Amino acid sequence: MQLIIGNKNYSSWSMRPWVLLREAGIAFEEVQLKFDDTGHAKGAERYSPTGKVPVLVIDGEPVWDSLAICESVAERYPEKQLWPADARARRVARSICAEMHSGFQALRGEMPMNIRSRHPGKGRSPESQRDIERVVQIWTTCLDRHGALGPLLFGRFSIADAYYAPVVTRFQTYAVSLPPAAQAYCDAVLALRAVREWMDAARRETEFVAGDEPYASDHR
Amino acid sequence: MKVYGMPFDEKRIHLYAPSSKAEILRYSPAGKVPVLHDEGTVVWDSLAILEYLAEREPRLWPRAAAERARARAISAEMHAGFAKLREHMSMNIRKRYPGKGRTPEVLAEIGRISAIWGEAKGPFLFGEFSAADAMYAPVVLRFRTYAVEGPNRRYMDTMLALPAMREWIEAAEREPESIPELDLYE
Repeated sequence: MQLIIGNKNYSSWSMRPWVLLREAGIAFEEVQLKFDDTGHAKGAERYSPTGKVPVLVIDGEPVWDSLAICESVAERYPEKQLWPADARARRVARSICAEMHSGFQALRGEMPMNIRSRHPGKGRSPESQRDIERVVQIWTTCLDRHGALGPLLFGRFSIADAYYAPVVTRFQTYAVSLPPAAQAYCDAVLALRAVREWMDAARRETEFVAGDEPYASDHR
Repeated sequence: MKVYGMPFDEKRIHLYAPSSKAEILRYSPAGKVPVLHDEGTVVWDSLAILEYLAEREPRLWPRAAAERARARAISAEMHAGFAKLREHMSMNIRKRYPGKGRTPEVLAEIGRISAIWGEAKGPFLFGEFSAADAMYAPVVLRFRTYAVEGPNRRYMDTMLALPAMREWIEAAEREPESIPELDLYE
């Protein structure tokens, strides 16, 4: 299997399946394409009809879109239990991943993922604030219900944690202050081996993608 | 659920009314529709609902793993993409706005949908009806409203003839509410 990804500093959609595969210990070959100034991954058309990353190539066939990749991997490796084993927990896990997949536009637009930078307090509009509150509500509801099983959303690691990992890095970049339970969850995600590995690589990247740097002038 | 004969009770909420927000929140933790209540739990978001239903009715996804992966990919692409099409050609079953909404970005998205539909394996996208067809059903209705020609006409006719689609369309045509914000080209 080949996973085609973009810049580790910026590509939140790439981070999700990468963290999933790595944390689950599933072997894959990483192919990194770099973004141009508009955030287009150069050469992605060679791998996917959408021309976007991430793409997972399984047996020569492309599977595009982070959520479809996660579902396909979960199905291919049932022994890894990448969705929660409990049917009710699995429903909630799928719901919150789908909500992330098509929602949180303000959070994504105003607080783009930028792992190596620090822009405390930036990107707070009423809309992004509402998105932050909804994320906190999702996390605390899951943690309340499954906290006895472990520090992650459904106790042990699942697709849901991979899916919210880029949000955790955003909260760090933009210094969002969180209730203790939500902050403890962020710390648990930041301590995951796969997340640390991705973030270390992101910090070593030097490319500057203007389209993902709305606050760069404050920074430089 | 209609196509595969999975029984359910329907509860319709009128959107864009003063009471809508509170009414939706009674049913949906995310504050959005659709939402499915089953066995004492809540599943929200159209794609998550389809995956949940597919666990009970495996025919919802194609049987071959590679086709299933592709069906999931195009469904996810619809779920989070085609923003311009959704903005400029909002679904409006009762109306006819031929030629409206065709910005360059919308035309590019229509081109992508044509490519996806052009690879249809049979009457439906993967031969038999699947969750991917359910995800693209509103696009079929948009193309009808905005008279978009070009994308796989046979596929559109197949979808429009589906009893579940006819039932939805007929109910939509009977709805008394009109939402001025969504009647884009009056």
